Amino acid sequence: MKTYLLKRLLSAIPVLFIVSTIVFLILQMTPGDPALVILGQEATLEEVEDLRQQLKLDRPIYEQYFNWLFNALQGDLGESYFMNDSVMEAIISHLGPTISLGILAEIIAITLAIPLGILAARRKGTMTDQSVMAFSLLGMSIPNFLLSLFLILVFSVFWRLLPVAGYKPLSAGLWEHLKYLLLPAFALGTAHAALIARMTRSAMLEVLNANYIKTARAKGVKEKWVIYKHALRNAFLPILTVIGQSFLGLMGGTAIVETIFAIPGIGQLIVNGVMRRDYAVVQGAVLYVTFAFVFINLAIDMLYGIVNPQVRLDSKK
Amino acid sequence: MNKDPILNVKELSTSFKTERGVVTAVDGVSFDLSKGEILGVVGESGCGKSATAQSILRLYDEKQTIHKGEVWFEGQELLGMRPSEMDKVRGNHISMIFQDPLSSLNPVFTIGNQIAEAILIHKKVSKREAYARVLELLRLTGIPAPEKRVNEYPHELSGGMRQRVMIAMALACESKVMIADEPTTALDVTIQAQIMSMIVELNQKLDMGVILITHDLGVVAEVCTRVVVMYLGQVVEEADVKSLFTRPLHPYTQGLMKSIPQLDCERSKPLHVIEGTVPSLHHIPEGCRFAPRCPFADDLCRSKMPPLEQYGSGQKARCWHAETISEKGEAIRA
Amino acid sequence: MTSSTENIDLHAVKTALRKEHNSILLRQIMSNRSLVIGFVIIAFLILVALFGPLVIAHDPNAMNVLNRFAPPSATHWFGTDNLGRDVLSRVIYGARISMGIGVAVAIVASLAGLIVGVYSSYYTRLDHLLMRISDGIMAFPGLLLALALMAALGGRASNVVLAVSIVATPYIARVVRSEALALKEQTFVEATRALGASDTRIIWRHIAPNTLSSLIVQATFIFAEAIIVEAALSFLGAGIPPPAPSWGNILSDGKTYIYKAWWMTFFPGMTITIAIIGLNLFGDGLRDLLDPHSSKTKN
Repeated sequence: MKTYLLKRLLSAIPVLFIVSTIVFLILQMTPGDPALVILGQEATLEEVEDLRQQLKLDRPIYEQYFNWLFNALQGDLGESYFMNDSVMEAIISHLGPTISLGILAEIIAITLAIPLGILAARRKGTMTDQSVMAFSLLGMSIPNFLLSLFLILVFSVFWRLLPVAGYKPLSAGLWEHLKYLLLPAFALGTAHAALIARMTRSAMLEVLNANYIKTARAKGVKEKWVIYKHALRNAFLPILTVIGQSFLGLMGGTAIVETIFAIPGIGQLIVNGVMRRDYAVVQGAVLYVTFAFVFINLAIDMLYGIVNPQVRLDSKK
Repeated sequence: MNKDPILNVKELSTSFKTERGVVTAVDGVSFDLSKGEILGVVGESGCGKSATAQSILRLYDEKQTIHKGEVWFEGQELLGMRPSEMDKVRGNHISMIFQDPLSSLNPVFTIGNQIAEAILIHKKVSKREAYARVLELLRLTGIPAPEKRVNEYPHELSGGMRQRVMIAMALACESKVMIADEPTTALDVTIQAQIMSMIVELNQKLDMGVILITHDLGVVAEVCTRVVVMYLGQVVEEADVKSLFTRPLHPYTQGLMKSIPQLDCERSKPLHVIEGTVPSLHHIPEGCRFAPRCPFADDLCRSKMPPLEQYGSGQKARCWHAETISEKGEAIRA
Repeated sequence: MTSSTENIDLHAVKTALRKEHNSILLRQIMSNRSLVIGFVIIAFLILVALFGPLVIAHDPNAMNVLNRFAPPSATHWFGTDNLGRDVLSRVIYGARISMGIGVAVAIVASLAGLIVGVYSSYYTRLDHLLMRISDGIMAFPGLLLALALMAALGGRASNVVLAVSIVATPYIARVVRSEALALKEQTFVEATRALGASDTRIIWRHIAPNTLSSLIVQATFIFAEAIIVEAALSFLGAGIPPPAPSWGNILSDGKTYIYKAWWMTFFPGMTITIAIIGLNLFGDGLRDLLDPHSSKTKN
């Protein structure tokens, strides 16, 4: 098990490397001089040149890249051109909202999806099943920014139940914190929920056909336990896979949802950074996000091993 | 010559609602099981023997299944019971073991857990007591080093041991009836013998009635007291084991007997086969269901369904010409 | 028997078999509800995209400052926007733009993905390189990557196609590669090689065509994603430059006035959703048709 984890961690390194290279190259290709943007149109050529030298923007590309890489490996991701923080600080301060949002969205998605998926599987072929499937299709198909707009229309404008946009950190109180995150979490989580519900349904259907379910019933296990203990444990593996795979997509969706709801998270950080040509921030944040993804993938693989003893034992041999 | 029937199956019918219409897999099946008896149920694949067993325990999804007839056990009628009441019967008074022990055991729970569950559902005992019983059961079914095995997962055991685990689960509550659905078909021949002898031993020691579903006539000859022969959802013959092998009344049974390869038969002669194939349940023939393949069939057979008739000393056959045929037929060595 | 009689018999048999095969196929297609409904929706939208602009009454760019923020009415089915433009016309024109981009991305990503996929499956060292790059591209959110690319390349329709195709190609490459890997192990490949066929021939005449069914299913979903990504990019202001009425741009205009004029958001939003639903249904149906045993979920 340990060697497996180590191997996975090691294979993540080239990925990180490639990602940072790609981002670096893209940013270099981007027209627009940060020095010019910082100083504004009124600046003289000399002032711009000075700033460029200060920011080391005049060095050849590969030198800039290696400088950045060297520093990054030591944990120094540079300074933001526009904000008064180092990139590291900027990332850390923007981490909280995104994490809260992601977790809330995930919780909403799972609490909705799994029971619905089980319900659809148990009532396969009936109207209930078809409605659940229709809803999940709808959920998967509405782009999350669209759903955000709809939710704002309904809950903030017509019904005035929840705030339109903005963010309050946890320190302001749990309900205050959640109030601002509820709509965006819903917008983010719905597509995710749809996928999970579908997978739950199909995994449950497959498992419920298995012989060991027949055995469980023949033993006299009550139907409720047949479903939740015997069947769900086995169906959980593919469900977990889909949760993991689409979690990445969910985190990707934070960019636009954060922008719409004015939540100061990593997604918004990156979007603004790209728009403002704040290279250092973009590179650092993207690196961080990629690293987080790799880590999450690993965590899911570990969960796999816990849930399914066969996987655990096979890797022992 | 029924001693004490503990299970009465009366005109049991089971039909499934499928996309292509209603299919009747079990059609008016009746038999009794006496205490301590081993009843064999034989027939080709698809004849409804498994379906009969699963119907007794009501294992089918009742939204898509129609049951008719009655199943009586200890004064209670099982088919009409409330599902919650039926849960109390399953695994407790009547238990069942299945054909493929690997797929019949839940891969994510240890075998100790699964056997203990069988106990804990029905008896109010502590977990420790349950596990003690689990060890006892594992010893009873001949599994070595039970303390170690208890924490193992199904895929870590061999095929024979898994089937022993299934049997241990079935015995957990000292059921009066065990239904064994082709328990040895998926196992190696040597293991088959071990498992069968264990089933016989348990039947004798615990006085437990066994319904043994199989297509292997050799096993039937060795182990069963009485036999029921099924074809296309119906019982076509019922007899005690000796009569069945010495004087099979139904042409189908005779065909089955003749199809068993004999050690001392002429090598150059082709093996006996029953002509034709089993028709699909969607296209059940008119009249006697075996008529299309029967060498003795006539117009009566093809137009009217023969009833199950008694022919002395507890032997029944569903054939218009049973007596005349058996006189023409040869006696077969058991 | 003369040889001509033999030939006639064979031909008749072949035609009869083909007819029967086709009718079975037709029956399979017709009974696949997802496929049919999805197809109807897509076909409708494509027709709208192609012929709608010829039929509509208003010019999508015609501003009418006197009639701003008009709610839906008989003359303006979808109402008017902040500059008095008819929303329906803009949505119809937008169909051309957004769906056009979707199709373009699907085609480009399919071609690129096919090439990458089959060559990766065939040559191991190339495989390592290409798959690492693919992993890199897939490692972080597509929208952000597309955003960064758009910032680098500049806001033009062709760049949107390029950017989104780059993001989408690895997904197709991965699907094609896994199909191709499985195919490579099959005996017909060995047999062909034994006949002396060159690598290129084996790849393009034998392996690639067999990956097409999975590819087409994936491409359908890519089409859907491309529409969404284009809309998101334009929504953020990084996609097709206004005043071109891509669906994303219309939504972007609408978001500022969401309280005043809900129709500016609702109608284009509904159209996008219907398009995506249609594509999802079509893709699901296609997957069932071409590979009924697949238990893959959409990316």
